Amino acid sequence: MKRFFSTALARGLAWQLIGTLVGAGLVTGLRALMGLSITDKFFFTEPAWVLGAFFGVLFFLAGNGSVTDWFKWARGMDTPEHHADHYSGWEKYLNVSLDHKVIGIQYTVTALALISIGGLFALIFRTELAQSQLQFLTVDMKLFGQNGPQLYNTLMSLHGMIMIVSILLGVAGIMNYVVPLMLGAQDMAFPRLNAFSFWIAVPAAVLLLMSLVLGGFGTGWTGYPPLSARAPVGVQMFFLGVISAGWSSILGALNVIATVIRMRAKGMTAFRMPIFVWAAVATSIIALTATQLIGLSFQLVMFQRLFGMGFFDPAKGGNPVLFQHLFWFYSHPAVYVFILPGLGVISELLPVFARKPLFGYRWIAMSSMGIALVGFLVWAHHMFTSGMNEYLRVPFMYSTLLVAIPTGVKFFSWVATIWKGKLTYPTPMLFVLGGIVVFLLGGLTGPPNAAISVDLHLHDTYFIVGHFHDTIFGGFVFPFFAALYYWFPKATGRRMNETLGKLHFWLMTPSFFVLTFGMMQIGLLGMRRRIVDYDPALGFDSTHLVLTIAGYLIGLSVLIFIYNFFNSIKNGEKAEGNVWNSRSPEWQVPSPMPVHNYDQPFEVVGEPYDYGLPGSKYVEFSSPAKSRHK
Amino acid sequence: MRHFVIVGILVIVMAILTYVGLDVAGVATQMHPIQASLQSVSIDWMWNWEIIAIAFLFALIIVPMAYSMIVFRRKKGDTSEGEHFEGNTPLEIVWTVLPLFAVLVLGYMGAYSLGEIRRVDPNAITIKVKAQQFAWTFEYPEYGIVSNELHLPVDQQVVLKMESSDVIHSFWVPEFRVKQDVVPGRVTEYRITPILVGAYKVRCAELCGASHAYMENGVIVDTKADYDAWIAEQQAIAAANQTPEGRGKLLTVKNGCVGCHSVDGTKMTGPTWFGLFGSTVELADGTSVLADEAFISESILDPKAGEVAGFSPTTMPPYTLTEAEIANIIAYIKTLK
Amino acid sequence: MSHTQDKSAALRQGVLIFVYLAALTALEYFVAVTFKAVSILVIVAMIKAALVMYYYMHIYKLNAESEDDEHSYEYKTGTNRLGLWLFLLSDSFVFAGLMTTRINLLGLTRPPLNQLLGLAVTAVLLLSSFFMNRGETAMAHGDKKSFMNNTLVTFVLGLGFLLGVVLVEWRLAAEEGLIASFGNPAAGPMGAVFYMMTGMHALHVFTGLIFLFVVWNNARKDLYSAEKHWGVEAATVYWHFVDLVWIFFYPALYLIGRLV
Repeated sequence: MKRFFSTALARGLAWQLIGTLVGAGLVTGLRALMGLSITDKFFFTEPAWVLGAFFGVLFFLAGNGSVTDWFKWARGMDTPEHHADHYSGWEKYLNVSLDHKVIGIQYTVTALALISIGGLFALIFRTELAQSQLQFLTVDMKLFGQNGPQLYNTLMSLHGMIMIVSILLGVAGIMNYVVPLMLGAQDMAFPRLNAFSFWIAVPAAVLLLMSLVLGGFGTGWTGYPPLSARAPVGVQMFFLGVISAGWSSILGALNVIATVIRMRAKGMTAFRMPIFVWAAVATSIIALTATQLIGLSFQLVMFQRLFGMGFFDPAKGGNPVLFQHLFWFYSHPAVYVFILPGLGVISELLPVFARKPLFGYRWIAMSSMGIALVGFLVWAHHMFTSGMNEYLRVPFMYSTLLVAIPTGVKFFSWVATIWKGKLTYPTPMLFVLGGIVVFLLGGLTGPPNAAISVDLHLHDTYFIVGHFHDTIFGGFVFPFFAALYYWFPKATGRRMNETLGKLHFWLMTPSFFVLTFGMMQIGLLGMRRRIVDYDPALGFDSTHLVLTIAGYLIGLSVLIFIYNFFNSIKNGEKAEGNVWNSRSPEWQVPSPMPVHNYDQPFEVVGEPYDYGLPGSKYVEFSSPAKSRHK
Repeated sequence: MRHFVIVGILVIVMAILTYVGLDVAGVATQMHPIQASLQSVSIDWMWNWEIIAIAFLFALIIVPMAYSMIVFRRKKGDTSEGEHFEGNTPLEIVWTVLPLFAVLVLGYMGAYSLGEIRRVDPNAITIKVKAQQFAWTFEYPEYGIVSNELHLPVDQQVVLKMESSDVIHSFWVPEFRVKQDVVPGRVTEYRITPILVGAYKVRCAELCGASHAYMENGVIVDTKADYDAWIAEQQAIAAANQTPEGRGKLLTVKNGCVGCHSVDGTKMTGPTWFGLFGSTVELADGTSVLADEAFISESILDPKAGEVAGFSPTTMPPYTLTEAEIANIIAYIKTLK
Repeated sequence: MSHTQDKSAALRQGVLIFVYLAALTALEYFVAVTFKAVSILVIVAMIKAALVMYYYMHIYKLNAESEDDEHSYEYKTGTNRLGLWLFLLSDSFVFAGLMTTRINLLGLTRPPLNQLLGLAVTAVLLLSSFFMNRGETAMAHGDKKSFMNNTLVTFVLGLGFLLGVVLVEWRLAAEEGLIASFGNPAAGPMGAVFYMMTGMHALHVFTGLIFLFVVWNNARKDLYSAEKHWGVEAATVYWHFVDLVWIFFYPALYLIGRLV
């Protein structure tokens, strides 16, 4: 226990608490001097909480040591290129490390923790929805200053945002661990920035959870004003949490792009990179740029609340629809941030388990870029009913439908990849195939939402809820699990239990189909999104009960996974060689990966996916004498 | 070649099965809630084509995938690799260009269907809609009627001019299909032609606060005769209601009070008014107070001051009404016993 | 290019670019007070931005061939340069978002601001960029003393800009009725947009000043040389970026549209 309290995580959290008190105290003191009120419903006033939360994040980062080297540089001091990790075992992961592999695992485990929290929230409100009328989230109950329906709204909103953050962290985790290994780099381009990107996500998660106890916010994860301008102070914690997590995503993406451009092994031309790297770049382009806009949109609402600046307040000449434009400029491309790496994992793993080249490598690579670029031009399809300018609707319908083309290229290429392969079905492959089918359903239910007239019916219903859970599960969750099962031996030298893995898959997949089919069906019938209760006359009770049971089964399957994950670290079957018989460079060296990655640099001498071509090789390790070349 | 023929046949079979299956489930030729507006016919037409495309594309991917998974799975003891081919550029071009063409067609159909549902009838009746947390109010400017139930004549286009006084709401009657946000600070338009007599409900589709789930009001599509009768009846009531109670009742509808406060004892977001006047009310701070003129008046002007136990934290916004208006409302509340 | 150019040629080029920029700013002002053509203002701002990006920020260096050794200072500087530009790209989306907000909320109207002051602070910032360029050129040729002097001038001018905006302009704007009082900008979106845009820019000026102080201080400790001065280059590029943003914000706030 004592060792836990001396870790960077514990120190950071302690400093965040101190920072929050200092910031809040500062504002409270100033307000006292100015003769303003100094306490409010949640002890501090809103400006005090905001500055406190902001200071909390800064203090966390300063206190846990992730910015120490930068301060040294600013003072003109030199630091070693790489700090060796002082710790081993679990302590290594709770302290600041510059090793991309450690950071990748830190990201991944944090993502799993957040997925569990977000999933727990979902189960809570799913339980309430199992029957019409209010059962336990009643008007009379009160928790954290909220009654049942208000708490429902907060939990539902937090489920959305916590899952989004966990996905961003999961994406960053896989990219961090895998991309430098695939490129043959020793680390990311900017190891300190990499550590910073991870650690800023921790106080961000704390802020998001703080919003729950500070009155909640109940605006949906979208936080549309004027509703968010009227929500309790919790909404400010939510905004600051999102902005901090946004910086994590932006800086992480910057690092990935720089790494891919500057740190590739000799001979690794653009079209000889592993396909996952293409996906990582496409995702990072979006995350690097568009993320700023969600930060800005939330910041403007923050300032509207703090200083009365009427950006979105119609009474002051503001425009509520402007917020939606700024918000969706990120939040639509964001779904491509979530899914592109997952689709990259699918493309990466299919050839390995089909023992065949990836069909149409260049087309798949280009389709990732295509999705990323078209993704910038489709945001207003979330606003067909918003009352925005009429003439914007048809162009945005067309741009949205265009996304189907690069996505279609991926599907067709995947099918052609497994055609005449020699397929085997270990757990990662199951999740890859499951991901394809689920994502197919998500993809196919997209165009009806793009066609404006149909969307006028579907918008804000459970049809949308089902549609995007399909896209996110198919595009992220299934491939993410596939990636974890697949690269687990690389990180630990052990395999996860196959039986439990298959149980996880066969429990989760059918439950998930039931869940989203049910959602879409009642959505068509008139089930609105984001409601705590529904009219019993609509006859949705039995479907909702089934959905809730399906939700619990998914939760159970994830629990099995988590047990398997942590249990296998110590007790898994040893797997130190090329478990999957892959051509990728990281599998050509023994597992777990050595601290400084490759002892000998490699050179790319062939195509990455030439499975079944006799005598071909993707990479060749040079003798130690030769120097490293780009 | 044999593989391709089998898969080709299976794709067609699967596509048909998928479509038929979805139709049996009630989500293909028509979205499920009955078509109650002219616009819903056009929307369901578009939806049907989408489903046809979905069924075909679903089969096109899923069949060769399942076929490969079964037929090309590794047999026991086989250690060879798969057949080596890296791609096929003409094929890639085909499956890029054909979807592009499909997208253009689908886009054209979408735009056409949008045009259909936005077709303007110059003789459309105008009704003003006011949305607020958590109720809808409907005003018929031609007749001087205010109602919290929307009555529409069948086969007659109406245009709703919608305004919100607080946050964003969204007007949605599932049977009408079309949905339109109501944004504070502007008037949004909703055009609809009901074609089926019946009782429906408008439900708010944009999260608007704690009682968002309950923000629903009745929508009645009447025959022309019934509609006229209703208008006449409402006008008569309005004329007869030139009493304080009558004016008070109108005010509670107009201001949306009855969205949260029931008049028959049902528990809603706010305390019921049934039997309220003269009763003893337990407040959130533990004290009790007699519900007299002063208490009700104060609760309207400053809802937080009179926070009733079990209903806190109050979500009611303060209302700025004149003394005379409040007196009318209290007169109305007095009648609710 | 600055490495291959000799020092005096580089300095001459800096002067020339400054003259261009000053002339274009004068042209902007002239257009704004006479025939009010928005398109011309947009084009002029783009030309100014291109000049700054090419001659002051040396964007072409992104394309520079560097030697193979990944551990060399030069190679790492290339990576750092890419990282910095990616950051600026990301950051520019914030400013683009603010610009969108301004266009959406204010359209072809503009806040009642003091024209003379606006021109003055713009000139000060432009001048600071000029001295920054001289400083960097000096460092690239190993002239530490000149670098420190020029950076000091830049710092003072930057501070002047910051104080001019925050202390003088903000107060004048408040007197013009852009806000009713602190914490109560009841006067509508004009005040909100003005304070948000200048505030976000001022924050960047402020961080730029810190950055300038850091490199000045490190130069004092003799940490930079003609070959190794990535810190100086980074501070310079960042400072010019702040100027670049103002190239668009100045016409957006002061010149475009009519007063209401």
